[in-house]
Order: sequence, then structure tokens, then C-alpha cells
Amino acid sequence: MIGSFGAVGSFGTIGSFGTISSFSSLPLGTNALLVSFLTMVEVGVSPGVVGLLESSFGIGWIGTVASVAALEWLGTVAALAQIEGLDTVARILIEGLGKASIYFIIAIGLTLVFGLMGVLNFAHGAFAMVGSYVGGVLMVLLVASSAGAATRILFFVVVVAMVFALLTAVGAALEVGLVRPIYDRTPMYQILLTFGVGLILEEVARIVATARGIQPEPKWSGAQATIPSALDAPSEILLTLFGARIRGFYLFAIVAGAILAVIVWAFLTRTLYGLYIRAGSEDSEMVEALGIDVRRAFTIVFGLGTGLAAVGGVFLMWDPTAGPSVLLNLEVLLYAFVVVVIGGLGSFKGTVVAALIVGLADSLTTWLFTSGTVPFPGISEVTLFTLLVIALVIRPQGLYGVEEVGGH
Amino acid sequence: MAHVAVIAFFAVYPIVYGPLTGFPALDVGVGIVDPGALFDAFLPATTFLIAMLFLGLFAMSFDFVSGYTGYLSFGHAAFYGIGAYFIVLVANGKVPGLPDSTPFMVTMLLGALLAVVFALAIGAVSFRLSGVYFAMLTLGFAQVLYQLVRNWDYVGSNPQQGPNLAGPTPEVGVPYVDSLSVALGRLAGDSFENVLGTGIDVSATMTSYYAIGIIVVLSYFAMQRIIHSPFGRVMIAIRENEERARAVGYNVFWYKMAAFAMSAFFAAIAGALFAAYRSSAAPDTTFYFLVTADALIVTIIGGIGTLAGPLFGAFAFEWLEDVLSSQQGGLAPYLRGGLPESVLNADVAGVTFLDVINTVIDGRAPLYLGIVFVLFVLFVPNGLLGSIRDRLGGTVANRLPAHIERYRR
Repeated sequence: MIGSFGAVGSFGTIGSFGTISSFSSLPLGTNALLVSFLTMVEVGVSPGVVGLLESSFGIGWIGTVASVAALEWLGTVAALAQIEGLDTVARILIEGLGKASIYFIIAIGLTLVFGLMGVLNFAHGAFAMVGSYVGGVLMVLLVASSAGAATRILFFVVVVAMVFALLTAVGAALEVGLVRPIYDRTPMYQILLTFGVGLILEEVARIVATARGIQPEPKWSGAQATIPSALDAPSEILLTLFGARIRGFYLFAIVAGAILAVIVWAFLTRTLYGLYIRAGSEDSEMVEALGIDVRRAFTIVFGLGTGLAAVGGVFLMWDPTAGPSVLLNLEVLLYAFVVVVIGGLGSFKGTVVAALIVGLADSLTTWLFTSGTVPFPGISEVTLFTLLVIALVIRPQGLYGVEEVGGH
Repeated sequence: MAHVAVIAFFAVYPIVYGPLTGFPALDVGVGIVDPGALFDAFLPATTFLIAMLFLGLFAMSFDFVSGYTGYLSFGHAAFYGIGAYFIVLVANGKVPGLPDSTPFMVTMLLGALLAVVFALAIGAVSFRLSGVYFAMLTLGFAQVLYQLVRNWDYVGSNPQQGPNLAGPTPEVGVPYVDSLSVALGRLAGDSFENVLGTGIDVSATMTSYYAIGIIVVLSYFAMQRIIHSPFGRVMIAIRENEERARAVGYNVFWYKMAAFAMSAFFAAIAGALFAAYRSSAAPDTTFYFLVTADALIVTIIGGIGTLAGPLFGAFAFEWLEDVLSSQQGGLAPYLRGGLPESVLNADVAGVTFLDVINTVIDGRAPLYLGIVFVLFVLFVPNGLLGSIRDRLGGTVANRLPAHIERYRR
């Protein structure tokens, strides 16, 4: 928008530099400290890790939305603790963190692609859906019914790696073949193109599943059955610790999500391409001007984003509330958008925080409905979209987003 | 001129369609040729043309704001849904203050005004942002409404399936004048025999088609007038360069709000026509995101930023839906019935031709629509009508006569 006038362009740049520096020069107020503390408590990591995250991304400013949302959320949980006891709180927390892990895995790909390339990938949910199906097929082929829990989890890791490699290649090929020719057009056409790709993938999945005798519409229970019974049943440890019946899957998801988050974070901060991506999210024109082959970086990031979405899909395959189904396409897409928009398009840290907010809000509202406190079944979705609307109105660039990105 | 030609084509089509599909099978010596079945398989039926009308009007209203101001309204289905639900709820006597005998035309306009109120509320928040964020915000609002309606048990016993219209049959025409109104609907609608002594029978489906068609044509001309007015010029200025439009002195915020409200008005009318013809409204066919997606697809195929384009896109959309439908008149039943057994059961790599028909053709319209859509985005970004206008160098009505003149010499 600003770039459309030559003369105004330079003013605009100065202006935006001003805003960014004023963000980072803001002192770490009580709000920020509080929220970092909450974040630490929620993730359960040491202060050192959060400090490292903050310093490595160079942003010390945390939006009021996060503190308000987190405070309100904490208040609700505190009230619940008084009424319902420790087991309920533990259940909401752990299920919320498990959901947050999966949201993070899916949303991080979307946010990286948007941050670097400015492409809002509407096929992201379809990639997760395809990952879920491919993972399901591989698991069904690999796992014998007599296999024990350790074997199943080992195969799961292998399948995650295979799906990631396969879908990364597919994503890179799609970028070169379809998205690359239209970078010079307005962002609307990239939305339209990826949206069309998502529609095609959904229909192809429907056709292939039907032809193979699998019902595409409700979840594919055959793939869900490959989960080890230890993960499907309530976890023994949590039962003795808190007296809460929580599926072991959520603990598994928390661990896996944390590991993947560290891998992605290490990729972003410790590799050259990570550097390009972080720099490109701030100012891709400048990166290009410095002589970096942005085209190749685009292809790699689009591929990685696709692969990560597919990995998230593999996790959804075991998720008791999801499972492989063509309906994942839109569900995943909309939830990932909420996470990405709240966190700020293109920000790793924002995605972590937003995934936590969304995951915990999801588990809290799901509990409110299942316990009968609120008789409205759509409360989860309505709460999430209300969060989206509030976040966009109060802080359009998201918690940690750069103001220029996405505004055109 | 072009307008007259298009309207005439769509007016004559259902009259010609009947005799064409009723063409008797001919024995030409070597085999039996059945042109009637061929026309039935490859020409869109009148029911699909009715769907084209309300989808086309909805897509036009979507294009009105998205194509002319450049703000992609991704939650447009909300207004369509408000129009549809308002009709059904009023007819079922569920809206306080409005008796179930309220004429359809009055209800339709009131529903459209309700959509305007919603549009102003949503727009007041959403127009603070632009680009991707505007699209996401409108989508967020629409999804919240979708979830609320899906779980709102006031509308009927099964809110997920949506309410059925239980009240009087909706009538299009002059309100409170019975002789100047016709009832809508495939089963409950009015039908006429031997109209004006021409020997043409107008079935209930055709009556609905013409009645809905008149409203769509009127709505089209209303939108077309707005776009050609000074107000419409400002909308285009906002699309081309919003900064400059603001610098010139236009209060762009209120222009965008007004354009959004008007487009919501026509979207609600499209929704009302849909609900009246189908005698029902379901959350998944009105408020859901994929309803907006349908409008998006036909707008791109027809030509974004051309008001009539979405109607042609909707024609292509419904044509494909009809050809690939699994019901009578689709390609799959035609091939299954017309091809000899030996061809159907021919085995190629473990797959018979019948399997191919069943899995790749039968009811697979969304797949081909997706492919056509992607191809249009890549290679024909201006859509059908937009590309024709680019080639001619102006609107078809202005340019075509000169072109024909050139070829005649």
C-alpha cells in the first residue's frame, strides 16, 4: 500500500522502523513479566529457555491481549480449582497442552510460509488431511495387531519421518509448478490458487478412500486403532498423581510437540536458511536486495510448511477427537488460522504462545460443555473465533507479528 | 443489446429444453441413435438453472464488494444465510411481530435490511483492517454465526439439519394482490397450461424459474446502476488505489461500509430465493464457509470485477454439476445405460470401465470444478467475461457491433 507512491515509500519505511524500534525499546513492564511467567508455567520449562527464546527473537514486548486472555483464563481455572478440585484442573491443563502441541505443529508451517512469502496457504488443512491419511495407510501396513506399545510408537516415529519427507517433496513441487508463476500478482490470487489446490486434494482423497472401501466422511477407525492401548487408555501416572482420568495420548502429544518445537526453533535460529526465513519475515525485499536466492528459499519453506502440516495430520490420526477424515481439511485450516493470526503471521514465538492460548481455551470450553456447565455444543468454536476477532481488532498484526506483513 | 440477448437466451432456454430432451430415438440402420437422451445428459436441466439463478445472484453480490472495492469478503455466506433463515422463520411464525401470513416479497426485503444491519456491524469492525486480515475477520464472524445457528434449537427440532418451511408457500409478485403473484417451489408452485394460447405449458419448475429470474434481473440492474454511478466509480478508485482515493477527499471508510451493506442486501435476497424455492434452510447450505467458496469459484470463472461474469460462472458451475450428477440426466447414468455390456466390463489393469464411471464421473463435480478453478486462476485470471472484454477492448455491448461490422466487409 505504502509502496505505491515513490516519495511516500521512504516515509513509510522510516515510520515502520520507528514503530518496530519503539516496540523493542519498551521496557519489560509488569504485564510482560507476568505473561512470560505464565508462559513458563504453562509450558513447564525453565525460565532460561523462555529467556533464550525471547533474546533470540529480539522482542521483549508482549501484547495486552495475551496478558488479558491469560489472566482471565487463569482466573477461570482458579475458580474451577476451588469448585471442582485438582483432578479437573489437571485434566483441562494437560489436555489443553496436548491440543496446543498439535495446533503448534500445524500452525507453524502456515505461519512460516506466510511470514516469508506473504502467501496465505489455504491448502494447509488439505495437506494435514493428506498427511493423516498417508500416515494411517503406512501405520496399518506396518503395524501387526499383536505389536506392543514400544513397537507401535517406534513405527509412528518412522511414519512421521516418511510422511514429512514425502509431503515436503510434494509441497516443493507444488510451489515450483503452481505458486511460483503467480508471485507477481496480488495476494488474492495466491489465496485463490491454494484454496483450489485444497479443494482438489479433498476430492482426490474422497475418491481414493471410497475406491479403497474406506468411508471418507466420518473418521477412519482402522487407522485410529493402530494407537497403543497405553496411549488410548487413561494414563496411570496421571491417575495416581492427580486422580484424573486423562488419555495417555495427550502426554505423548506434549512430549512430541515440545521436541518438534525445539527442532523447528533450532532450524530457525541455528541454520542459514532459518536466518533467511527470519530476516525474510521482517523484510523480504531487503533480503532479496542482499543477494540471497529468495526463490529457492521460498521453495524450501513451502515444502517444509507442507511437511509440517502433514506431520500434524499424522498426530491427528491418533487424536481421539479427530482421526483421518476429509473433514479435517477445513477444520484444521480454520483452527490453524486462528492460531497464526493471534500469534502474528510469521512469528515462531507468537505461534507458540497462540497455540497455548488456543489449546487451553479449547480444552477449557470442551470441558465446560462435556461437564454440562454450558449446554451449548458449539462453545469451543465460538470461543476460538471470538478470540480471533478480539485479537484482530485489538492487535491486527498479532501478538508478535511485524506490522507491515499482511497489510496491503 | 448484449443484455437483451442474454436475457432472451435464458428466457427461451427452458421452453426449448423440453422438446429437445423429448426427441424420440431414431433407428439409423447400423444402430439406434437417441438424441433426446444425449441432450438430457449434456444440457443443464431447469432445476439446475434455478440453482444457477440464486447462486449467480449471490456471487454477483460477492463480486460487488470483492471485485469492485478489492476487499475479499470471505464471510459472505453469513448474509446469504440471514436472508434464507429469515424467510423460513417468518413463514413458520417464529419471528415476533411478523405473522406467518406476511407476503414473501415483504419478508425478503425485511430480511435483506436485517442483513444490512449485520453488515454494518461486521463492517464497522472489519474495515479497520485490510487485505488478508479483512478476509479472515469476515470469515471469523461468519463462522461464529454458523456455529450459533447450528446449535440454535429455537429454529426447529433439529437445528443441525435446519428448519423446513411449514408456513404458506412463498409467492413472488405484487404483495397483497393475489392475481399478480405466483407461488414458488418444485411441488407446491403454480403451473399454467397453454399460456396465452401459444400451446406452451409452463410447469411449476418453470414458473419458479421465471419468477426468480425476474428478481435476479432486477437485482442485477440495480447493482449495475450503482456501479456505473459516481458512487461506483469511488468503489473502483478504492480498489485501484485507496490512498489516493482518500487523498482526493473521499471518506473511503463510509464508501466501503455502504458498498458492503449493499452487497449484503443482495446476498440476503439470493438467500431468500434459495430458501423459498427449496422450502428449507440448513446451516451447511447457507451459513457455511463452502457456500462462500462456491460464490468465489463462479466469480473467478466468470470474471472478478465484472458484474455479469458471476452469472456466466454460475452457469458453467451448474452445467458441470448437472452433467456429473448421479441422477437422471447426468453423464454417468447415460453411459451406464447407453454403452454395451462388453465395453462396460472391459478389464484394464484390474479396473473395469464401469468402475471408472462410478468413481471418476458419478457425482464428482467438485473435483473438476477445483481443477477448472485452478486453471482459471493460473491462465485466465480475468475470467470468461473479463477476458472477452480485454480482447474486445470494452464491454461486449459497446464493442461487439463494431467487430461484427469489421468482419462483414
